[in-house]
Amino acid sequence: MLTLWQDFRYGLRSLRRSPGFALLVVFIFALGIGAATVIWSVVDGVVLRPFPFPEPGRLVGVGSAYPRLDRGLGFFENLSAPEITDIAEQSRSLQGVVAWDMGQRQVTVGETTENLFSAFWWGNAFPTLGVEPILGRGFTADEIAQGAPVAILSHRVWQTRFGADPDLVSGVVRINGDPYTLVGVMPPRALIYGTDLWIPMGVGMEVMPRKRRQFQLIARVVPGVSLAEVNEELSVIAGRTAQEHGAELPEYEGWILEAMSWTDINVRQVKPAAFVLLVAVGFMLLLVAANAASLLLTRMSGRRREIAVRTALGAGRGRLLRQLLTESLVLATLGGAMGTALSYLGVHAVAAAIDSVGLPLPGDVSVSGSMLLFAGLVTLGIGLLVGIVPAWQTSRPEVRETLGSEGHGSVGSRVRSRWQRVFVGAEVALALVLLAGGGLLVRSFLKLQAVEPGFAAEDVLTMRLTLAQERYDSTRIGPFFEELVRRVEALPGVASASTATQFPPRSFSQREIVVEGLESAVEGTLPVAFATIASPDYFETLGIPLRRGRTFDERDREGAPLVVVIDETVARRYFADRNPVGKRLRVGASEELPWFEIVGVVGATHNRGLDVEPQSEIYAPLGQFSGASNQHFLLVRSAGVDPHTLLPSIREAVRSLDPEQPVYAIQTIEEAYASGAAPRRVATTLLSLFGAFALMLAAVGIYGVVAYTVGHRTREIGLRLALGARRGEVRRLMVRQAMVPVALGGVLGLVGALALGRALSGLLFEVGGYDPLALIGSVAVLAAIAFLASYLPARRGSNLDPVAALREEGGG
Amino acid sequence: MAVRHPGEFEQLVLLAVARLEDWGYGVTLRRQLEERAGRRCSLGAVYATLDRLEAKGYVSSRQGEPTAERGGRAKRLFRLEPSGARVLVEARETFDRMWDGLDDGLGLKPEGGAA
Repeated sequence: MLTLWQDFRYGLRSLRRSPGFALLVVFIFALGIGAATVIWSVVDGVVLRPFPFPEPGRLVGVGSAYPRLDRGLGFFENLSAPEITDIAEQSRSLQGVVAWDMGQRQVTVGETTENLFSAFWWGNAFPTLGVEPILGRGFTADEIAQGAPVAILSHRVWQTRFGADPDLVSGVVRINGDPYTLVGVMPPRALIYGTDLWIPMGVGMEVMPRKRRQFQLIARVVPGVSLAEVNEELSVIAGRTAQEHGAELPEYEGWILEAMSWTDINVRQVKPAAFVLLVAVGFMLLLVAANAASLLLTRMSGRRREIAVRTALGAGRGRLLRQLLTESLVLATLGGAMGTALSYLGVHAVAAAIDSVGLPLPGDVSVSGSMLLFAGLVTLGIGLLVGIVPAWQTSRPEVRETLGSEGHGSVGSRVRSRWQRVFVGAEVALALVLLAGGGLLVRSFLKLQAVEPGFAAEDVLTMRLTLAQERYDSTRIGPFFEELVRRVEALPGVASASTATQFPPRSFSQREIVVEGLESAVEGTLPVAFATIASPDYFETLGIPLRRGRTFDERDREGAPLVVVIDETVARRYFADRNPVGKRLRVGASEELPWFEIVGVVGATHNRGLDVEPQSEIYAPLGQFSGASNQHFLLVRSAGVDPHTLLPSIREAVRSLDPEQPVYAIQTIEEAYASGAAPRRVATTLLSLFGAFALMLAAVGIYGVVAYTVGHRTREIGLRLALGARRGEVRRLMVRQAMVPVALGGVLGLVGALALGRALSGLLFEVGGYDPLALIGSVAVLAAIAFLASYLPARRGSNLDPVAALREEGGG
Repeated sequence: MAVRHPGEFEQLVLLAVARLEDWGYGVTLRRQLEERAGRRCSLGAVYATLDRLEAKGYVSSRQGEPTAERGGRAKRLFRLEPSGARVLVEARETFDRMWDGLDDGLGLKPEGGAA
C-alpha cells in the first residue's frame, strides 16, 4: 500500500515535469471517456432498459399489419377483442396474455381535478409485467372479475400532480364523478403507452365486435421459447382467422401478426441510430487507447536513461513495471474524473435535447450508477491497456547498452518505433471507419434536406390548442377556432392563419375511404388516407397549391352538402386521368355513411416526413366538422418577419378569447420537419463529431511518431545531409516512412468502413451503404491530414544544420 | 359498479356510434339518427349526449398519438367502449325478456292485429 502511494506520488511528480504531455493525454482520455459514458447512459436509459420490467426480452406485444390496407406493422390500437381472444386461446408460446384499452378520465382528489390518459385492463397485468406497485397493492382477482371501482396511479402523476402524498393510497378519489378506491401507485417508469391511471375493465371481451380494433395486448413468452417460434405460431393463428372471417373482413387477406419485445416496440425507431452510436463509441475508445499508448510510448522513450539508472541502482523489473503502470493509471484516473464531469454535463444536455425535440421515448436519461461504474471500468481498462505495452517495452532495457548509448537506433528503439507504427496504423483505420460513417450520414442528410415538402414550409408557426371538455361542449369548439383565426389574421405581421387537426409532417389520423364507383378494392389494397379537418385558409397558409376545382369557403357549413378536398396522390390513384371534381367519396367502409362531394384537388405534401413518399390525404372543412375534435393546431404564416416573433401577439389573441386557454407544442413547420429527422440528425452530428475527433487523434498520433523519429534520428539525418543528401529527399524519406502504417491502416479502415456502411444502411436515405463518394472523400481527407501531420515535423527535421546535429548527438 | 341504464336517446346515439365508423361523428351520427330512427335533432343535442355518454365511460374519444402530450390529449372521433356495448346488450336483453310471449303483438298495431 505504501509503495503504491509512493508510486502515485512519484507519478504525479514526474507528470508535473511535462505538463503539456500530461494535459494532452488527460484531455484525450476525458473526451473519449466523456463521450463514451454519455452515449452509453443515453442508450442504456432510453433504448436498452427504458422500463423496469424484469426479463424484458420475454415481455412482448403483438402487432398487426394489413397489406390490403397498405398499413405497416402497428402496435397501437391495433387489435379487436375477438382477435385478442383468438391469440390468447390458441397460442401455446405466449402466457399471461392481458389486453387493455385507453381513454381519458377525469380524476378528482380533494380540490384537484386532472385529466389523465388511462388504461382499462382485461386480466391481471401485474404478473405479466412482473412488477408490483411500490405503494399499496395491485388489483385482486375479484376486483378484476367484477370491475370493482379501484384504481392505480402512475408514479410520475402521483409525484408531480398529487404531491407524492402516501395517504392517497387506500383513500377515495372521484373518476368521472364516481367514487373509486385508489389502491396503489406504480413504480417509476413502469409506463404503458404513457397511461397514468389504471382501472380494471369490468366488462367481458365478448361484447366487442371483430371490426373494432382499439385494443392492444401484452404477454410473456413461455420460458425456453424463441421469438421466432412465437411468430411462427402467430402466423398460423392469423391464417386461421383469415380463413374464418376473410369473407366479411377483406383486410384479413394476408394480414400479419407479429410479436416484438415491449422495449423494442417503444424504441424501434431510434434503435438503429443508437446501435451505430454504440459501435462508434467503442471504436473511439479503442482509438483513445491507441493514441494514449502511442503518446506514452513516445514519452517513455525519453525516460529510458532514468529507468536504466534506476535499474542499475537495483530496482526490480516488477517494481518498475508497477511504477510505470501507476503513471498511466494516474493519467487515466485524471482523464476519467474529467470525463465523468464532462458526461454529467453531456447527459444533462442530451436529456434537455431529447425533451425539446419530443422524441417518443419512454425512458429517463440521467446519470446513473451503471454509467459511473462503466466510466470507472473504461478508465481503469484503458489505463492498464495503455500502460502495459509501453511499460513492458521500457522496463526491459539492456542496462549497459542504454547507459552507453542513448538510443542510436538500438534494438529497443526499433521495437518501440514498430509499436508506434502499429498504433498509428490502428488509429488511421479507426479514424477512417468513423469518418466514412460520418460521411455517409452527412451525404444522406444532405439528400434529405434537398427533398421539397410539396408546399412552402418556411415561415409557418404552429401550436396546439386543446379545449378543456369541462368548459367547451362540442358546439362551442368550432366558433372558438373560427373567431381565433379571425383575430389572428388581423394581427400585424400575419399573412394568413388557419386551423387543422393535423399538418405535415405530423399527420397521424388515417381513415378508410371509398370512392363512388370504385367500391371494390383498387390495386390489391383497400384505400386509406389521412383525413384532416381544416379551416378555409389552410391551403393558403401552408402554400399548398390548388390543382383543380376549389378549396373551402363560407358555403361549406353545417347543413350544406358535405364536401371534401383531395390531394394529388388520391386523385392519381383513384381517378387517373379523369377529373375527380364532382365525384363522391365516403370516409369509412359502412354503406350507411354519407357521400362527400369532391370539390377540389390540391398538391400532395410529405405529410409523414421528407424521407417518406407523400401519403394519400383528404381534407374536410372545419365549418361542417366543427365539433369533431376539441384539439386543433393553429397555423400562422408570417409576412416578412420571423414567425416566432408573432407568438406574443398570438398568445394575446388567445387570451382575449379565453384567458385560461393554454397553447402548447409551439414550433414552426420547418422545426417539425427537423425534429422528425432528429434521430437521424443526432446520429449524423455525433458520428461526424467522432469522425473529426478521430481524425484529430490520428493526426496527433502521426505527428508524434514523425516528431519522435526526427528527434531520435537527428544524427542519421545530419549524416545524410552531410553526405550530400538533399533536404527534399530527406523530407520525402521521412514522410514516406510515416505513410507506410497510414496506408496499411487505411486499407484496414476501408474494410471496417464497408462493414459500418452496411450496418448504417437502415439510417441512410437515398445513399447506399457503399457510397463511393463518402469513401473516397474520407480517404482523401484522412490522407491530406496524415500527410500534413508527417510533413510538418519532417520539414523541421530536414531543416537541421547537419554540423550542429552531428555535434549535439555525439555529445549525448 | 352498478349499471346505469341509458335513456332512449342515449341508446340511439350509442347504437349509431356502434354502427358507424367514427370519423366526423357529429354530422354522420345526426344523419343516422334522422334516417334510421326518424329522429330530427340538432347537432348540439348529439354532441351533448356524446359528452354525457363519455362521462359515463360508454364511449370514449379516440386518441391520436401514442405519446402522452402536455396540454391534454385530443378528444376526437368517438368510439364505443366495452361498457357501452354491455349496457346496449343488457338493455336489449331486458326488452327481449319483456317482449317474450308477446310476439303476436299487443293488438295495438292495426296491421299486426290478428288477435
